[in-house]
Amino acid sequence: MTPTAPVSSVPPLVAHGLEKAYRVGRGRLPVLRGVSLVLCSGELVALMGASGSGKSTLLHLLGLMDRPDAGEVLLDGERVDRLGAGAAARVRARRIGFVFQQFQLLPELNALQNVLLPRRLALGRLWWRRRRAETAAARRLLEAVGLGERLRHRPTMLSGGEQQRVAIARALVSRPAVLLADEPTGNLDRRTGHEVLTLLLDLARAHGTAVLLATHDPAVAQACDRVLRLADGELVPPDAEVAPTP
Amino acid sequence: MSLLHLGWQWFRRRPVLIAAAGGLALGVAVLFTVLAVFNGFLGALQSSIRDFAGDVVVQVPKRSERPLADYLEPVRAVPGVASVHPRAVAFGMVGRRGARAVADLRTADLTGLVVVGIDPDEAPALGADPALFAETSEPLRPPPGDADVARAAPSPPPPLVLGRALAERLGLEVGDVLEVVGFSGGEPRRASFRLAATFATGRFDQEMDRALARRADVARLADRPRGFSDLVVRAKPGVEAAELAARIEQALASASLASHERPRVRTWRDLGGQLLRAAEDQRGLLGTVFFLIVLVAAYQLLATLLLTVTEKKRDLGVLRALGATPLRVVSFFVGLAAVVGAVGIAVGLALGAWLVHDIHRVELLLGGGKPIFLPEVYHFTEIPTDVDPASTLVLVAATFAATLLFALVPALRATRVPILRALFGR
Repeated sequence: MTPTAPVSSVPPLVAHGLEKAYRVGRGRLPVLRGVSLVLCSGELVALMGASGSGKSTLLHLLGLMDRPDAGEVLLDGERVDRLGAGAAARVRARRIGFVFQQFQLLPELNALQNVLLPRRLALGRLWWRRRRAETAAARRLLEAVGLGERLRHRPTMLSGGEQQRVAIARALVSRPAVLLADEPTGNLDRRTGHEVLTLLLDLARAHGTAVLLATHDPAVAQACDRVLRLADGELVPPDAEVAPTP
Repeated sequence: MSLLHLGWQWFRRRPVLIAAAGGLALGVAVLFTVLAVFNGFLGALQSSIRDFAGDVVVQVPKRSERPLADYLEPVRAVPGVASVHPRAVAFGMVGRRGARAVADLRTADLTGLVVVGIDPDEAPALGADPALFAETSEPLRPPPGDADVARAAPSPPPPLVLGRALAERLGLEVGDVLEVVGFSGGEPRRASFRLAATFATGRFDQEMDRALARRADVARLADRPRGFSDLVVRAKPGVEAAELAARIEQALASASLASHERPRVRTWRDLGGQLLRAAEDQRGLLGTVFFLIVLVAAYQLLATLLLTVTEKKRDLGVLRALGATPLRVVSFFVGLAAVVGAVGIAVGLALGAWLVHDIHRVELLLGGGKPIFLPEVYHFTEIPTDVDPASTLVLVAATFAATLLFALVPALRATRVPILRALFGR
């Protein structure tokens, strides 16, 4: 297992006044209205809200997959929301991990190759010098998620829960400061979802990775350190936060 | 795991990409074959001219009364000359003795030919038996009858070696007597020869219009009392014919020859110039036309890759989300095109090599059992082929470059796919 990352005084992820609206016909539909948040190192935060409340949009803005109309995103104190496509991609490759509800594994690659993909993208030419060490680390991660015997299996040969485990290993393989998970258990049955979630949170804790996890499930939220609630594109103020219901 | 590996996996699992590589392979195979056939044809043509003319021919004027040595010695002394052979060349018509055709020169049954008079030492270079050209050679077929009759019979006609195709056309067999009518200005001269042997070079034009005989016999036919009409010069390896011709001209200019004795020096390229240039032009033209076909195949790859961008949009979104920069997406698509191009070119070269190797079988297959290229028209009995490494390299490089160039359009389009739309259809 990778040793726990040192805790930095600068929060790994900070967002100030994020706003986003989508064009619908001739009008604009506001999705986020001035969302601000801070994610501390190693903190596990659940993001809850009804469908359409803007959870996914917020994750996409924080993950630099989309640009806010207003506001700013800081990663380790560095403003990243206005980066060009290339620079944003490099930040995503090195400092942000993603876990999607639909797993988003590449069907042509096996489990090990899927996990290695972010490292291949992040390292560029360095990959050829470090590929043995990186492969060994990816193997260890897959063993940690219980897929040590399934390294060469393609996604189509894995169950939903196993695919999500591969996706978790892929998200953590770069030892990112921040992991963004968009309803990672939404496509799994309750028991499998619970197992995957436990695994995700355990591994994130072990890696010292800050996690922001969008979910509908109060049980999932309960497993986190903190819960943020999003309603109509706005965060419910911290003092108005309510404890997750069991 | 490299992105090229991912490209290879995409290629393996997508029939449309395999079909694109197949199109490329067909284009490359056809172009490879066409180039090999034209190179072979040009090579055969050049060799045909050079076999007859050497590298340089020194044509001595008929009016010159200088002895052979006056031309031979200065030419032999020129640096770069490997060998010099005097020849007597007569242009004439041939027919079987006694046939009606020979009695009447206006009949169409007579066949024109060039009778080349050579010395025994030059015979091997022309693929003939030196013994046939020795002045002391024995009659090839003793006259029939007893010894007294044989002794009383006139001496047998001198030997002549004819191309197999012409011998077959005239219905001649070894030992038969044939008559040649030579035209050297003035009255036609007749001479009888005995068919001593036939030669087969695989080149129809040579077999149809060339005959070899002893130099002295041909000199009589050509009305060359000095026994020669030109000198055939072969260059040492690495010496260009044009350069050698210039040196020979210089050497002969300082040999104090009168103007009517000065020979004409010509290279093998001068002798076959127009035909060679026409063939070279045709090779260039056909090469261009068939390369356009390869370009069409490469263009088809562009359409296929554009389709792939649409079909694999989600995977491209995953790559971008995981940190693939636009430049890396471009290089991935160019790499994918490189995989398709490499496979297409490799298969095309293999297919082309097979076509060239079995060209005769392919020709019969395409012609329904009959040859497509008639020897009477194309001047070879078998399709000559020659794979030129330089033109193959140019073909491979140009095809590969075109493939990569065409891949840039889908590659750039792939970078413009928004991540969220690719992943979630938003």
